[in-house]
Amino acid sequence: MKRRTYLKTGGAAAIAGLAGCLNVTDSNDGTTTDDTTEGTTGGTTTGTTSEPDEPLTVATYDSFFGDDGTAGNWLKQAWEAEHDTKIEFTAPSNGVNEFISRKKQGAGIDADLFVGLNTGELVRVDEQLPNARLFDTPDGLANANRIKDGLQIDPERRALPYDTGYISLVYDSTEIEEPQTFDDLTTPAYEGALLAENAQTSDPGRAFLLWTIHEMGPENYLDYWQDLADNDVRILDDWQPAYNAFMNRERPMVVSYSTDQVYYHGEDELPRHQIGFLNDQGYANPEAMARFADTNQPETAAAFMDFVLTDEAQANIAVNNVQFPATTTADLPDEYDQYAHEPPEPVTFTYEELAGNLDGWINEWARQIASS
Amino acid sequence: MDKRVGAPDSEQLAPTPARALLAAAGLATLLVLLVVFYYPVWTVFENAVLRDGYGVFDALADPLAAVTPDVLLGVLSDPFFLGAAHTLFEAPLRVPGDAAAWTVELLATARPAVVSRPPFVVLVHDAGNVDFGLFGFTAYQAVLSTVLSVLVGLPGAWVLARFEFPGRRTLKSLTILPFVLPSIMVVAGFVATFGTFGTVNNVLAALGLGRVEMLYTLELVLVAHAFYNAPLVTRMVGTAWENVNANAVETARSLGAGRLRSFTDVVLPQLLPALAASALLTFIFTFMTFPIVLGLGGLRLATVEVWLYASVNQLDYETAAALGTLETAFSLFFMYVYLRYEARRASSGTGKPLPRERLFSADTLHDWLRRAGVAAYGVVVLVVFVLPLVSMVLASVGGVSDPTLEWWRLLVERQGSRTEPSVAVRNSLLFGLGALAVALPMGVVVAAFSTRGGRFRKLGDTVLMAPIAVSGVVVGFGLLQGLVFGVDIGPYRVSVVGPAVVVLAHAVAGYPFVVRNVAPMLGNIDSRLVEAARSLGADRARALWDVELPLVWPGVVAGAAFAFAISIGEFDSTIILAGESTYTMPVALKRFLVDRTAGPSIGPAAAMGTVLLVVTALSFVVIDYVGGRYRP
Repeated sequence: MKRRTYLKTGGAAAIAGLAGCLNVTDSNDGTTTDDTTEGTTGGTTTGTTSEPDEPLTVATYDSFFGDDGTAGNWLKQAWEAEHDTKIEFTAPSNGVNEFISRKKQGAGIDADLFVGLNTGELVRVDEQLPNARLFDTPDGLANANRIKDGLQIDPERRALPYDTGYISLVYDSTEIEEPQTFDDLTTPAYEGALLAENAQTSDPGRAFLLWTIHEMGPENYLDYWQDLADNDVRILDDWQPAYNAFMNRERPMVVSYSTDQVYYHGEDELPRHQIGFLNDQGYANPEAMARFADTNQPETAAAFMDFVLTDEAQANIAVNNVQFPATTTADLPDEYDQYAHEPPEPVTFTYEELAGNLDGWINEWARQIASS
Repeated sequence: MDKRVGAPDSEQLAPTPARALLAAAGLATLLVLLVVFYYPVWTVFENAVLRDGYGVFDALADPLAAVTPDVLLGVLSDPFFLGAAHTLFEAPLRVPGDAAAWTVELLATARPAVVSRPPFVVLVHDAGNVDFGLFGFTAYQAVLSTVLSVLVGLPGAWVLARFEFPGRRTLKSLTILPFVLPSIMVVAGFVATFGTFGTVNNVLAALGLGRVEMLYTLELVLVAHAFYNAPLVTRMVGTAWENVNANAVETARSLGAGRLRSFTDVVLPQLLPALAASALLTFIFTFMTFPIVLGLGGLRLATVEVWLYASVNQLDYETAAALGTLETAFSLFFMYVYLRYEARRASSGTGKPLPRERLFSADTLHDWLRRAGVAAYGVVVLVVFVLPLVSMVLASVGGVSDPTLEWWRLLVERQGSRTEPSVAVRNSLLFGLGALAVALPMGVVVAAFSTRGGRFRKLGDTVLMAPIAVSGVVVGFGLLQGLVFGVDIGPYRVSVVGPAVVVLAHAVAGYPFVVRNVAPMLGNIDSRLVEAARSLGADRARALWDVELPLVWPGVVAGAAFAFAISIGEFDSTIILAGESTYTMPVALKRFLVDRTAGPSIGPAAAMGTVLLVVTALSFVVIDYVGGRYRP
């Protein structure tokens, strides 16, 4: 593996002085990582491999790591206690899109693993990069067969789910009755009651839209949303403003997660934080991890993925991320289990069902809402 | 590149080096713009005009093969984007017939009524069955936002310029505070203030007037736009007002002009350039509005920028580039028209300013009426500006009903973790000062360039103003693929990132404010003063430094405050260029917002927002104080 080589000529230094940090790397080097030294400084090698002794760079989203009590920090500490390889997290602001763009433009990937991929994003990766491999399939993960079948998002098993959330309604039972079906939401009893999120930009918003398509069918979902719009549904840009408005009692119902009561289970709080599973369903939104095909530490990356799927890691990720484990064998603490509700019937679209449809569904929907 | 124009320490600058210095400053400005703005933005826009696989050099070599209008036409002929006007591009021959039918339709169906819907009076809200499309709606709400911002901002300029009261200078310094606030905090503040159970409604309910649903209406979005942009009007017009030459007014009065007449004939013409400039900026900003519309209005009130962002998100670069190009072309067109007819009558700091009345003493009925007006305006300021800000501060302590210091404790505990509040404060201030040091010379040089010259100068001037006419989403994405990903040069891949680049990006975003504050004043300087200096042996740079700059100094200070504010509030390019460890206050705020260890509360973000508020407030006071003390 080639390392990043730095030009230290006078010319480059002069430009660097002007512009701050000017990185010059070898163009053919698609597998650079963040280290800047040529050659390693001794130390032990990791596991059974002869891979470079450098930190494993894990690209993820902002809330996955940072402080004690996050899933990422637990993973880092637990992994580093047993392994010589360090874990480094980064949170690119455009998520997986950044790596799609990097791959398209021939820029280095600069990471070994991506954590926090959902089905729609994986579909987009494959649609955007039909002839290039951003991720590859890890072999021989001992724990991979514990993943629940219903949660698998990738027919090629490049992306492996490590937890899942269920999108549901959260409603204030002091204001409204529990809605039972999707059609209930279009009745006068729920006029001006629902807050949702923009499916173009928000994960729960997209999951809720997909749930309605799952129930109403691709032919009818726009009609259903017209009824919702006529019943004065409000679609805000993201989960945070929607949930904040719900907390300010602006509206009694919000599209959110079925783990809501983990945060709010005080006696006076519970009535205001009831979970509504429409049609006794919840839309599963599994989060997956995948190894970058360009990594120069494929075995270490695979070992880390296997580690994430151990029972102990699964329980800790679920609790810290306020989600559910992706494997069949993980056990959750009782107190957590009591307030994190799973829908009687989880539903979700598979990779095959989303491929070729997702962007079209979302665009049609957004055009209709914006024109109404 | 942040060399002061004309070094003051060398008393006898030879003409040639001084001119070279000015030219060098100009070239440095262009270089910075090229690297951190024009090139990155071009990498996005080229998707709208070039065929796949063609670059800018192919376009120059063989324009016919490389350039295609298809992408732009695709957007322009789509009724969703352009409404009824799409026919212009889809089938031009149908236009006369359609326009006739359209007029009939408009006359038949539009209800140009002033509808009263408490608490708002809704202007022509219903355009009947005629569809204006996404661009039409975006322009419509931008026009309304501009009108409201001017209405809310203008009295502020009057109060600050014409009355004397304790704390006036501080208040003036604080006017641009809203400018730096992240939209998410403004949305939260507005929900807490104008929501069904918000402060305003609680007062209404207590008065027995009943609650009014204000959230998710266009009207409230307009108020939020006024929250951001009215301070711009206040600050820019207020600065011009303070520089109105009292002698001219006194002359007019002594010649028999009444109060009104002397205002319309003498004062108003001197305010108009600042008023027009601030209105134009407001229009451009609100035309490119994005999170505010979605947070307070919902997707129903989507604007062009919402679609642009969604397109980038779906990696649909062609649509994104087309929308961005049209948006920018639209903004720059207005900018050019404005610059072309910019009245060069703005006052500069010559002569003595108008005397200020003492606010807290009144003798005549007229005086009392004026003060009643000020008091009424004070109520508006209280509701539109103070309450949302106070709500945000209150959210950081869990509100009035259930106070807690938990979020502040959490903020303190974050010291030593991934995102340290103190590091965020330090980085923000360093970036802000750095951006200021670069943006001021850039702005003054460009202002000096733009003040003189004819039609082509104005065209150049327009292009130099582009940083405020290009959407933040486009700039951010351009920086990512243009600078962070890098370009292949020979066998090497060159990428430009890091703190110094953040400073430059901030300076580029901020310097247009320096230009627009300084240029009108510079244009008004009696050219005989400069000529006199030149004939006495001063070269161009020395004349600028010794004669012109002191005269336009109030504009420089006002521009400096804006440049600093832009840097402090900047998010898009910071997060892309700065990297994991060089975060600023808005970036830290965003991280605390999604910090699930604190639960779904906005408390930690509100606490960080309060820190942001206090730090920037202090900075503004210092900038104005130092700027007022120090004149070259």
